Amino acid sequence: MSESGRYLYAVTRGLEPQQLAGTPGLDGGHLDVVEHLDLCAVVSDVALDEYGEEGLRRNLEHLDWLERVARTHDSVVHAVASVGPTAPLRLATVYLDDEGVRRGLAERCAELDRVLGQVAGRLEWSVKVLAPATPVVSTAERGMSGAEYLRRKKASAEDKEINDALLMDLADKVYEALADGTVASRRLQPQDQRLTGLAGTMLLNAAYLVQDDDGPAFQSHVKSLQAEHHEVSIECQGPWPPYSFAVLEQ
Amino acid sequence: MAEPTNTPVSRPYSAAVGESSRPQPANLADILERVLDKGIIIAGDIRVNLLDIELLTIKIRLLIVSVDKAQEMGIDWWRNDPMLTTSERGLAEENRELRERIKTLEAGDSPTAASGGTGKGSS
Repeated sequence: MSESGRYLYAVTRGLEPQQLAGTPGLDGGHLDVVEHLDLCAVVSDVALDEYGEEGLRRNLEHLDWLERVARTHDSVVHAVASVGPTAPLRLATVYLDDEGVRRGLAERCAELDRVLGQVAGRLEWSVKVLAPATPVVSTAERGMSGAEYLRRKKASAEDKEINDALLMDLADKVYEALADGTVASRRLQPQDQRLTGLAGTMLLNAAYLVQDDDGPAFQSHVKSLQAEHHEVSIECQGPWPPYSFAVLEQ
Repeated sequence: MAEPTNTPVSRPYSAAVGESSRPQPANLADILERVLDKGIIIAGDIRVNLLDIELLTIKIRLLIVSVDKAQEMGIDWWRNDPMLTTSERGLAEENRELRERIKTLEAGDSPTAASGGTGKGSS
């Protein structure tokens, strides 16, 4: 058994350790709460040969390892967010001991407090707008002249361009329409098709910070926009802990 | 030190989750996007070079199935490929290229025109 360190998942306020009973940390580790003033850091023990500098550098390159850690990290953050205002930490924030964790909290104390105030009582919703997969239309036909082929090809390229522009406009409109009534919104980088495994192009990948109570209304708003616009698919996922809105100024 | 702000005790999911039709397990792309790119950064005792993480995410965005393969392909290629940097820019770019190619072909006598337009002209 190698030396252990303390892995930090999230910062919150007013958390009793027993509120997280039943949620396992990384590698089944027990979740503990380290406090500094009214800030509570949720931590668990991790082996430093796996989560030390060497170990992380090596392990982060392995997708299986990364997936396991990412999913556990996320599930702990979800559990914390289900009981109080939550500032999720970026993956792989590791201290040598509780003293280090307290020092980390103390250094960013005021900012963490501000962030928690911003996200308290609010959750993140994700909205993606996807264009339908473009069918591969064969413009070439047997016996077609070269000129005719080119004419059709040009027409289809023009149609596509017009269509793409319309879809982008629509994505912008959806983004703005949904922002109405939310606390904050952000556009994230559209995800690559190969990563999502989805057939269509992602036109919009947005995150919204929404009051807890407004979640259902937000979801119906998405549904009504989908009903109006069949040319795209609008997906709403959530609620997430406020990952995209808990941001410290660097 | 900031005063502890007087925020209401929030019980985030109780209301929202009941309405949600889909039980969570989110897809890996969504989780990685959040835990690697978002969230608070506090310097831990263990210093992980953030650049390493950035490279890692780029590799993941490239090809989730094979990180090694992505590495073989080279990182710069990804960085400079508008198609992958953002989808919309990629589309616009592709369209522009197509239009230019068609113009060239229509202008007539490009020797590649005869091949039926399936060639990968890069002019």
